[in-house]
Parts: sequence; C-alpha cells; structure tokens
Amino acid sequence: MKVTWKLPDGSEISADVAEGTNMMEAAVANNVPNVIGECGGNLACATCHVYVDDAWAGKTGEQDDFEDAMLDATEAPREDRSRLSCQIVASDGLDGLVLIVPEA
Amino acid sequence: MTVWTPTDDGHADLTSHDTFIQGAPHNTFKRLRDEDPVHWTPYPSGEDFWSITRHADIMEMNRNTAVFSSARGIRMEDQSHEEYLARRTFQETDAPEHMKTRIKVAKAFSKPVIAQFEEDIRVLCDEILDEALAEESFDATKSIARELPMRMLGRILGLPDKDLPWLVEKGDALIANTDPDFTDHVLDKLETDEFRMMPFNSPAGAELYVYAKELMADKEAAGDTEGVLHMILQPDKDGNTITEEEFRNFFCLLVAAGNDTTRYSIAAGMQAMCHQPELLGQMQSEDIWATAPDEIIRWATPALYFRRTLAQDFEAHGKTMREGDKVLFWWSSGNRDEAAFDDPFRVNLAREPNRHVSFGQGGPHVCLGMWLARLEVRVLFQELAKRIAHIEADGPHEFLRSNFVGGIKKLPVRIKRA
Repeated sequence: MKVTWKLPDGSEISADVAEGTNMMEAAVANNVPNVIGECGGNLACATCHVYVDDAWAGKTGEQDDFEDAMLDATEAPREDRSRLSCQIVASDGLDGLVLIVPEA
Repeated sequence: MTVWTPTDDGHADLTSHDTFIQGAPHNTFKRLRDEDPVHWTPYPSGEDFWSITRHADIMEMNRNTAVFSSARGIRMEDQSHEEYLARRTFQETDAPEHMKTRIKVAKAFSKPVIAQFEEDIRVLCDEILDEALAEESFDATKSIARELPMRMLGRILGLPDKDLPWLVEKGDALIANTDPDFTDHVLDKLETDEFRMMPFNSPAGAELYVYAKELMADKEAAGDTEGVLHMILQPDKDGNTITEEEFRNFFCLLVAAGNDTTRYSIAAGMQAMCHQPELLGQMQSEDIWATAPDEIIRWATPALYFRRTLAQDFEAHGKTMREGDKVLFWWSSGNRDEAAFDDPFRVNLAREPNRHVSFGQGGPHVCLGMWLARLEVRVLFQELAKRIAHIEADGPHEFLRSNFVGGIKKLPVRIKRA
C-alpha cells in the first residue's frame, strides 16, 4: 500500500509499505523526520505521534486505552485526529493513506 | 586523541564487579561483537547467561517482548520467585501490567511537561556551578555531577530541600550496592540475606520505604496532591491501585534511577571535555545542542546492561537460546558498535543520527526519565561552557565498582574560569 507523510515544511514523503508493517516502522525506514519510535512500537513513549488526514478519519482502526493514555504525553498538541503511528498497521484498505507529521 | 582507551585483555570476566573498576571492558565487547555475538557467559555465582553485544541484535531482541521477558528479573543476579515478588517494580513486568503502571506517570515525564522545568534546572545549575567553580581544582563528580539530578528529582517529587542530601546518600547505597565507597553492605562481599526482600537487597531500601510512607502521610494531611507520587497512588480506570510494596519499590526506583544515571552522564561528559579539548569550543560556538545531550549520554552509558529471560526458544547467529535462559543486552557494547556508530570511541557532539541505546531504546521499558535526563545534561553543559575557558584532568579518574552501573565516581579536574 502507498502512504504519504505531509511534513511541517510543506514537503511530502511517499512510500510503498508492506502489509503488516506499522506506520512508525515505515516512517523510520523512510527517514520521515519527527517520527522517532523510541519504544519500538510498544506504546511507551508517544514519539511516533501523527495526525491522520481528514479524508482518512475513522478509518485507521480503534485506539485502545493505552494509546489513549499515551496520546496525553505527546510533544505536539493532541487533537481528535491524533494517533500513535505504531498502532496503525498497513493493510489494503489503507492504500493511499495520508499522515500529517507534527512540528518537533 | 581518543578519550579513553580500554585496557582489558579481550577476555574480561563480565560478571565480576572488579572488572569494571578499569571502566567497561570494551576490548572484550569488541571481540564478542566480532567473534561471538550471542555469547554463553559463565557466571560463577549464579546461572550462566547469554551476552548480546551487537547493536542490531539488541535492537531486534529488545522489541521482541513475546520472547524476551522482563518478568523474571532484570539483573544478572538470580532471585527466587519470592524475592522477585517482593522487590519488583514495573521494570520487572511485561505488557499489559507494565503499561498499567506506566500510563499513570507517562504524562508527568513527557517531553512537553519536562520542558517546563528548564528554568528551574538553569537556576539549580547556576547555584551548583557558582559554588563548584569557586575552586580551580575539584572532584567534578562530587561537586557538580552528583548535585544536580537529586535536587531536580526533589523538585519533581515535591520533596523538602533539607531531605535531599540524605536521599542522595540512600540512592547511592541502593544502586551502588557493590562499591564499598557507597555502602557498608557490599552485595557480593557480605551476607546480605536479611535484606533479600528489600529493594536492591539493601537496608537503604527499607529506610526509603519508611521515608516514603511518612512523606505521603504528611502530604495527605496537608492536602497536597501535587506530583508524581500522588499520581502513582491513584486508582486506574478499573479501580485498581498499586500495593504498598509496589509503591515502596516505585519510590526506591525513582530515587535510584533519578540519582546516579544522570550524574554519571554529566561526569562522563566532563571527562570527555578533559580529553577532547575541542569539545568546549564547540559547546561555546556551535549549534550542537539538539544532538550533544544524546552523544554525551551515549558516551556515558550509565546502565551497562539490562537482563531479560527467554519465554520461548530463540535462534540467533547459529545459537539456540532456550526457554528460561537469562539474556543480557549489553547497552555499553551496543553503544560502541562500529556497525552502528562511526568512530564510536570519539565524542562527536554533532552526531546525527545517533541511535544509541543508553535509554533502552527500541523496547517498551525505554527510560521513563529520558527527557529529563537530556534536558539536565543540555542545560548543565550549556551553563558550564559559558563559565570556563579551559578544563583538564587533574589526575586519574576512578570508575565505580559495579558490573551494572557504569560511572566515573571520582573525576579530578582543573579549570580556568572564563
């Protein structure tokens, strides 16, 4: 599936991501700035915070309680469209997904 | 000029505390990375274990919590199930238990909340440096590195200033429990059986427990609900609270972890400044502050390793690790791996990217206090660099006697004020 990250400076990074890969791993593999993933995708650090583009609202899966709690610990302000990108897993249904990377 | 040259013969005993008096045995780690990256390590005073020394392997295994469990201890030493239960903190649990505790305090230690302490830290650094730099030659670990972290932790926990020296002493006795300079109860040299159930096997753990109980009683009486300790006592959304034992252990963990890891990062950074004279100039004139703290913390690697236990068999580099085997992730070795870092024995304040593992990055137990540590290190070195024109070693430095905490416990320096 194809994913596009919109960066704070207005530029974009797009990549093909294999099914089953999470969006934090994909971002790190594609050198997307500000998506760090210090805890390896284990919901312990909130450093892979992204905003989901409005067109994809409600389509990236449910947040569990731990993600909900950790979203209170993000650096950029939490919004309704906030997700920890390690919790979004690539699948055919997400082909064309657009994620917005917060400012550092 | 390299900052420090390891002197071990390449076959050091990784289990001996005495090995580490010379600093981490990096010639041994290099040999293991090159020849035997999944190394079965004999341990005369306990169960033998696997040593993992390559950065890439540490990263891969640390995230794989289904195989590499924290729930049977995180130190080299073996402990009975009974001891484990009495002494564990959320460090010694796996998901989801680990996260249930962690989410209670995650926000308090998050980057934006910690960033609000920058001015406080700067004021503390002013005080500490004004006093320390009144002398031209002094022990930098004692006069500078030892002072900042505990004073800051006191602020965050809401502890009275008058208690801080006592807490530093107890924190030292807890975590440096193998160095006779810091405890009368040297773990591997005395019969510490009566302390087996206490945090870090130490009577200091028992004293801290009493202190924490009284502190919380005082706070409750005063209606004080500020701070991290209050947060951890609150029930979760299912109404579960932590037990008294868990609270005691959490408090001891904060005192121990908040006390000496940042101290030894600061000490290692100052030692590097003595041996790489260009670092001071870079701190004074170059825009290196986004990267410098992580490089100093990589250089220091205060936690030498953490242990996991195999929950199922796992194969790597032709070796089969069996369910129940102990595994040590040697962060200290990973942080000097030439495959992950160019010129790993040089401090490069502009190093980018810097995928060091001092905080246990890549796994769920990544250091809760990492943003605080980075901020303290940044502000301390910013303020130090403003105040001095020159720094040099004023005699040999001494490492802690511990195979678990890597630290320079004595760092004689001579400075010229700016």
